[in-house]
Amino acid sequence: MKNKRFSIQFLFYIPDLIFIIIIFFAYLKRYITADVAMLIIYDFMFYFLIKVFLHFWGYKVLILNQINFMQKYIDNFKKGKFSLKESELKNQGYLSEIITELSDMGRHFENMVTTQRDEIDKFKEFYNNIVLSVSSYFLVINQKNEIIFANKSFITNFNLTNDDIIGNSISDLFYFSGGKIAEAIENVKKKGDSVVLRQSRLLSKNRIAIIADVKVSRITIQGENQVVLVMDDITSKCRKDYQISLISQISESIQKDDEIERVLFSILTAVTSGSGLGFNRAMLFLIDSSSSTLDGKMAVGPDSIEEAVQIWGAVQGEKIDIVKRMEDYTSNDRKKGFFLEQVLEKHYAYDSEALFVKVLKEQKAYHVKDSWNDTRVDPETREFVGVGEFIAVPLIAGNRAIGVIVADNKYNHAPIWQDNIELLSIFAVQAALSIESCNSLTSVRSQMEKIKLRQDAIVESEKMAAVGRIAAHIAHEIRNPLVTVGGYAQRIIQTINKGNKNPESIKKAAAVILKESERLEKILSNVMDFTRPSPYIREFNNLNEIINDTITLLQNVFQERKIDINLILQENLPLVKSDFNQLKQVMLNLVQNAMDATPRDGSISIFTELVIDKVIIRVKDTGSGISEEHLKNLFEPFFTTKVTGVGLGLAVVRKIINDHNGEISVENCAEGGAEFKIVLPVPL
Amino acid sequence: MSRILVVEDEQHQRELYAMELEDEGYEVEQASNGKEAVEKVKNNKFDLVILDIRMPEMDGIEALGKILSRDKKIPIIIYTAYSNYKSNFMTWTADAYVTKSSNLDELKNKIKEILNTRSS
Repeated sequence: MKNKRFSIQFLFYIPDLIFIIIIFFAYLKRYITADVAMLIIYDFMFYFLIKVFLHFWGYKVLILNQINFMQKYIDNFKKGKFSLKESELKNQGYLSEIITELSDMGRHFENMVTTQRDEIDKFKEFYNNIVLSVSSYFLVINQKNEIIFANKSFITNFNLTNDDIIGNSISDLFYFSGGKIAEAIENVKKKGDSVVLRQSRLLSKNRIAIIADVKVSRITIQGENQVVLVMDDITSKCRKDYQISLISQISESIQKDDEIERVLFSILTAVTSGSGLGFNRAMLFLIDSSSSTLDGKMAVGPDSIEEAVQIWGAVQGEKIDIVKRMEDYTSNDRKKGFFLEQVLEKHYAYDSEALFVKVLKEQKAYHVKDSWNDTRVDPETREFVGVGEFIAVPLIAGNRAIGVIVADNKYNHAPIWQDNIELLSIFAVQAALSIESCNSLTSVRSQMEKIKLRQDAIVESEKMAAVGRIAAHIAHEIRNPLVTVGGYAQRIIQTINKGNKNPESIKKAAAVILKESERLEKILSNVMDFTRPSPYIREFNNLNEIINDTITLLQNVFQERKIDINLILQENLPLVKSDFNQLKQVMLNLVQNAMDATPRDGSISIFTELVIDKVIIRVKDTGSGISEEHLKNLFEPFFTTKVTGVGLGLAVVRKIINDHNGEISVENCAEGGAEFKIVLPVPL
Repeated sequence: MSRILVVEDEQHQRELYAMELEDEGYEVEQASNGKEAVEKVKNNKFDLVILDIRMPEMDGIEALGKILSRDKKIPIIIYTAYSNYKSNFMTWTADAYVTKSSNLDELKNKIKEILNTRSS
């Protein structure tokens, strides 16, 4: 291409060559003479030389131009300007090709650089967005404890501007960060290990409170140590967790409690505790039906912002356990703060126009957003509450309003959200029921006490009734020995009267009388066992002996009813610490029960055995068994399937066995009849 | 001399009756339960049976039936500590129902009365 261009340049000289050839041929053909030809050629040579000179001189000018252009282009190239206009390339000869190539190359480089820059920009944006937009709060602090960076979430959440933050220290922003967080920052600076402060309570100077997991860690940027604080706001999570457990926790603890003051205190503690409903202050009013007034009964909350900060700082990081707090609560604890005193002195007449009375009468929650301008709020209440926004919720038990809970955020001025109101309303229902039940509890307790006394008396009389039932048999039993005694006595008298002084026969008669008297005594003491008053005497007794005694007592009845009695008693049974007479009562009741269920010619079996460390007594009959529906309340007092009897027999049995730390159970046997099983512990 | 069978499980009582009745001039045989009584009646002739009711093995009521089924004419006095057996129809077949007492006069009178009616 270069050569071609070069040859084209020389095409300029072709007409000159042709002219000389024409002249030369004209001379050869003798059209012109040699002199003329020479003259013409000389003239032409002169012209030709000028033309050559002009040619080369012009060429030089062109090259200089091109060099200039080149220099300019390189200057531009250095500045990063690669492209050229088409017109600029005109007249540049073959240089334009080189420049075009150069400019292509330049553009190529430029493309590469631009792509990389774009990529870098994209990354930068990406990371910036992450840091700025994550819901966690980021703070970066330099060596001098100045904040040098805060992310968007932090700024928005705490309602600050960058100017408020940058250059300030943490303690300029938060109330009690001087404590654990400052400590953590110092530790991290020194040691470099990250520290996580769980569930830290933070209150900003503009009174925005959050609960956050704060992670403090060290980063090194360009040789300087900086501290990064990442705060994960867990306020709502905590609140939800807390709200879920709150009601159950409260009701549980209230159920255990019987002192009304403590119940009220715990209710308000729940309303005010940080992550629960989280109100700053709460007060509770109850209706007094005798004086027709709504009286302040309890208040929980700090008296001043200083106290509030102190309280919130004190519970930093530790989970509030309502139940525990209630247990801690005693009347001494409850120092009568100004706030509480104020509330206790408050009495609203039931016929007054006061807002709280309205809440009570209408059984409707009032959410006052601006009490200074809200016409629903009466002046007295306005002055008493002393805050713009508060909420008053009725306490409704059944369908009767018994009081009012009032709550506000006096100290952090946090707005009261709809979900707070809803939760407080739900909670109020629970609280109202608790108060009601607590009030009822006292009267129920005394009633219960009375009933218990009566029941004890009934149980006692049932023991006597049981004796009464066997009294008929006993009467007969003592008749036999009595008759014998009387008969022999008579015989002695007759013998003497007849003058028959046979000492042997008198002696024999007297011996019989003695023997029968002993028998009588035994029968009597056997019966007396049941009528003794109940204080337990704990001795070591042989259960087999107790069973034998009972059976002896009932021997006559067995005979009469034709019931076989089988005793399968394990020998050398360990002694059981027990009350002899009580256990005899148990056996008597169980055996009588079995007899009542057993038809004529049936049988009752009593087994005793030792299983590991327990003595087991089983009383089994061949009766009709017990129907499923009766099984479950068989041991309940006053449950009976019999026409006669009050249904206390088995209840007494269970009570005695329970008093002996034993167990009693009953089941139907596969082969018919029922089996009662008593398990008594053997002392080691 | 009339022969009397005393059926009674309580040894002391049985012996007392025997002694008393022997003193009265009767010949007395003893049985300690219903079964024994039935056996004795089977093998011997008695003019009268004094029968207790509540006894082991075989009680008086059952024995009463068995004795009467063997010998309808034999006079029987039920002598028991319990008055409630009076409501049992079986006891109605006996000639007398006497409730036990330390004073044996009522029993003795009844024996005399029955034996007199029989012999006349």
